[in-house]
Amino acid sequence: MEKCVDYQELLDVATKVGFHLLENGAEIYRVEDSIRRIVMAYGVPEVDVFAVPTTIIVTINPPDANTLTKTKRLYTRSTDLDRIYKLNDLSFDIVEQKPSFEEIERRLGAIVGRPDYNLLIQVFAYALAAFGFTLFFGGTLRDALCSLSLGAAIRLIGRGLEMFHTNSFFINTLCSGATALLAVFWYELGAAPHIDLMIIGAIMNLVPGVALTNSMRDIIAGDLLAGLAKLVEALLTATAIALGAGFVLSLHRLF
Amino acid sequence: MNMGEMLLAILFSYVACLAFTLIYNMRGRFIWLAPLGGAISWCVYNLFAFIGSDIVQNFIAAMAVTVYSETLARLNKAPATMFLIVGLLPLVPGAGIYYTMDYCISGNQIAFQQSLVHTLAVAGALTLGIVLVSSLYRLWFQLRFHHRKKRQAKGG
Repeated sequence: MEKCVDYQELLDVATKVGFHLLENGAEIYRVEDSIRRIVMAYGVPEVDVFAVPTTIIVTINPPDANTLTKTKRLYTRSTDLDRIYKLNDLSFDIVEQKPSFEEIERRLGAIVGRPDYNLLIQVFAYALAAFGFTLFFGGTLRDALCSLSLGAAIRLIGRGLEMFHTNSFFINTLCSGATALLAVFWYELGAAPHIDLMIIGAIMNLVPGVALTNSMRDIIAGDLLAGLAKLVEALLTATAIALGAGFVLSLHRLF
Repeated sequence: MNMGEMLLAILFSYVACLAFTLIYNMRGRFIWLAPLGGAISWCVYNLFAFIGSDIVQNFIAAMAVTVYSETLARLNKAPATMFLIVGLLPLVPGAGIYYTMDYCISGNQIAFQQSLVHTLAVAGALTLGIVLVSSLYRLWFQLRFHHRKKRQAKGG
């Protein structure tokens, strides 16, 4: 390194990479590891990173300057595998090539600024997932065709409520309630024979099966706090879903 | 389950996983590659149906899909989780969690407890399968790296 590194900027950039990794659903150890390796690549051997699903704390202790700490709080998280792939690539490139901070910022901006799939493709994907899983769990073709509408409804309602920044518990409850309502509608119309298979297939879009498995992986990897936080989140999501569908189904049983 | 039904179920798991690559915003060739993990996991799960315990079947299937994911990850220089998240979908106890909470809300205590323990056991079996294989993978690559370094040191 020919010129002196601006440690404040280094801390900012490294934390930013970690922040976006965590925001898009990367594992805790990958977030912590990426930040640590980036900071160390620029000549700061002493660095401590602590990440849980809602917070990142980074402290660096440069050999010739004061200790610096930065905390970043996360409010929303989602799963975006393409961004994780590119951010992971970026962090390896940073460690190998040590580019300038402007260059890193430019690449970060390009990754984060990439638009998501448009709403039409998203609705199609949710519908296709409901279709596939209804067949997978043993539904008939008619069940599966009806559950296309259930999957589409989940995305449309979810998207609508996200615009009002509603909390995810409420969104999940409403989505699963709407799913059950549509399933009951198709059943009563005589279009599809299995209410439960339609609902289960469509609700695979919401249930936290992956979250539950990931939380256990975190716990085994030693990230106990992060694992517990994810476990609670998974249970909360499951409660919301069961609440919504349960409410509609009990009404249906009554009448 | 007869052969035809099994093949259909594998095909359906591929379609469902393919939909999820779009939901998770995957791009490019991964859209076709990642769902193969789902097909593999369900195929292996069914191949070991003679064992008669779905916990053990889940464990073995999780190991198989982890081998696929880690291999694909090395070939593409991508994180293995990308392929794991998609490939595990046919195995993860989504329906189990749903039924557990459904029993809880409807007040069916015995079914709730049974379903809860079973769901956690499935998630645990999957986790153990994943962790076992990815730890072995990491160990193997580290040993190879170490070996190569040693040989280079001798040669130079």
